[in-house]
Amino acid sequence: MAVTERPERHSLGDRLYDAIFSNRVWRSIFRSGYPNTPRNQMLAVATNVFLHLHPTRIHRTHVKITHTFCLGGLSFFLFLGLTISGVLLMFYYVPSVDRAYTDVLALQTDVRFGQLMRNMHRWMAHGMVLTVLMHMMRVFYTGAYKPPREFNWVVGVVLLVLTLLLSFTGYLLPWDQLAIWAITVGTNMVGSAPILGEPNRFVLVGGFQVGQNALIRFYTLHVIGLPLMAAIFMTVHFWRIRRDGGLAKPL
Amino acid sequence: MATARSTQMPASEAVRGRMRRQREEELLVWPDLVFVEFICAVVFTIMLVILSVLVNAVLLDQANPAVTPNPSKAPWYFLNLQELLLHMHPALAGVVVPTIALIALGAIPYFDNDHEGQGEWLSTPRAWPNVIVGAVVGVFGTLALIFFDASRHVDFYEWMLNGPHRVPTLPDGAPDPTYIHWPEALNWLRSLRSLQTQVAWPAWSTNVPFSEFIPAQLIGITDFEVHLNLPAILVEQIIPTTTMVGLPLLLSLVAAKVGLAKTRRDHMILQFSGFIATYVILTIIGTYFRGQGLVLTPYTIFSIE
Ligand code: HEM
Repeated sequence: MAVTERPERHSLGDRLYDAIFSNRVWRSIFRSGYPNTPRNQMLAVATNVFLHLHPTRIHRTHVKITHTFCLGGLSFFLFLGLTISGVLLMFYYVPSVDRAYTDVLALQTDVRFGQLMRNMHRWMAHGMVLTVLMHMMRVFYTGAYKPPREFNWVVGVVLLVLTLLLSFTGYLLPWDQLAIWAITVGTNMVGSAPILGEPNRFVLVGGFQVGQNALIRFYTLHVIGLPLMAAIFMTVHFWRIRRDGGLAKPL
Repeated sequence: MATARSTQMPASEAVRGRMRRQREEELLVWPDLVFVEFICAVVFTIMLVILSVLVNAVLLDQANPAVTPNPSKAPWYFLNLQELLLHMHPALAGVVVPTIALIALGAIPYFDNDHEGQGEWLSTPRAWPNVIVGAVVGVFGTLALIFFDASRHVDFYEWMLNGPHRVPTLPDGAPDPTYIHWPEALNWLRSLRSLQTQVAWPAWSTNVPFSEFIPAQLIGITDFEVHLNLPAILVEQIIPTTTMVGLPLLLSLVAAKVGLAKTRRDHMILQFSGFIATYVILTIIGTYFRGQGLVLTPYTIFSIE
């Protein structure tokens, strides 16, 4: 029986199906009903702006959870979640040494779901560092960096650095004792480099010690500079996966 | 014309057969992948919400540049570098090592570039043995080095010879003459630093006028003055560098000799596993076992007042 030629439907489920997938609003958005033929399913992936990051077909071993453990996808998912929760946090946060700490306090106590939002942002940030590291390990142990994917591995290393920097710059923003001293320790490491270290540290911190200049620099990098770079490199990363013929498979 | 035709429709039956088999190995992204991704996202969203409801992010007192907490620690993913910092020159630990590690990481595919073992978990022969050996050597090698630098071998020696519960002083506070100490002749082996402090280095070696050998005034630099402390350089730079380069090389050499690592992929797995193990151990030690003054302390869950 061809899938498109269904007999008349009477059950509740069938009527629900029609109500959801055949009304004018659904059609105006997706142009067709639920994609229930192989051809339509491929079209759904290929013509949808979000889904077309994917190929339309994929090797069967790559669908197994144990091949990728979803780690790259999870890193991306966490990046999106961090962007959303981060934008919400920005509504309440002013990057000044006089206000930053009290803003975070007020966010936790006065703003509805403020504490939850901050917690989510924090745990997702830690989680993303972990998933990116584990994603790197999965790519390594599946030998997926081999030609023609060498360059995508390098893009990945850049993404790893960007992830660490994103997390590091965010660490300063609550402006509590943990933040300022962790960043002091971290930036002092930069300063210890021969010749270029101290000038670099000075530029990063915007002075001799971590203060207002450091806060505004870290804030700007954290909310726009680094996310933009990460987004660009992720675009390249995903594009290259497609160009390199999908995920690596055994020859 | 002939080439255009051959790219569109492969001439031989064998090629067409291969393409057909390839197709049969493939699934449709919708629904097989999209649904998995969707479920994954939902599950993780729920887990994150639960975690965030249960555990609050820390917020300590307002930043105060005048009060340095003890210990002061970097974010956890940099504690491995902070741990290295305790054992070598800061420039080496804080800049040179991470830079070289990242470059080496990025260079992996350019060294190991055949297709052996591609696209499958640890599918080459000897892959697992190399993972295990690399990880074990990484963990125990790193621990041994850290314990050595914290004089734990000295404690162990005295504990073995004196028995447990003995302290080197009598109840009235005077030194106990029967207590057996680490031999004085071996004092330079107490830790890495004692090689610098416990050896009678000649006076000249701690103050070598390096700048006098360099004709910097010829290029117009007149205030160039550098004095080298050779024992310090030995302890802070030469020995750590030799260790960090030498031990992995030695591992690969031995592995090649005994037939554990034969191909480049073998060596890559061995080294990468060793690197990850070292990275993890350094992070754990830096996070949980460094207390006040960053002294090696048993099980200090990091908390600052
Ligand atoms: C923000 C960080 C990153 C994101 C969002 C990301 C995302 C992804 C995604 C979604 C995939 C598809 C397969 C999968 O899920 O495993 C992938 C594949 C890949 N990633 Fe990443 N990645 C990141 C970091 C890295 C890092 C640190 C490396 C390596 C150093 C790396 C190297 C690769 C390579 C070589 C592939 C192709 C794997 C294959 O062909 O099987 N990526 N990445």
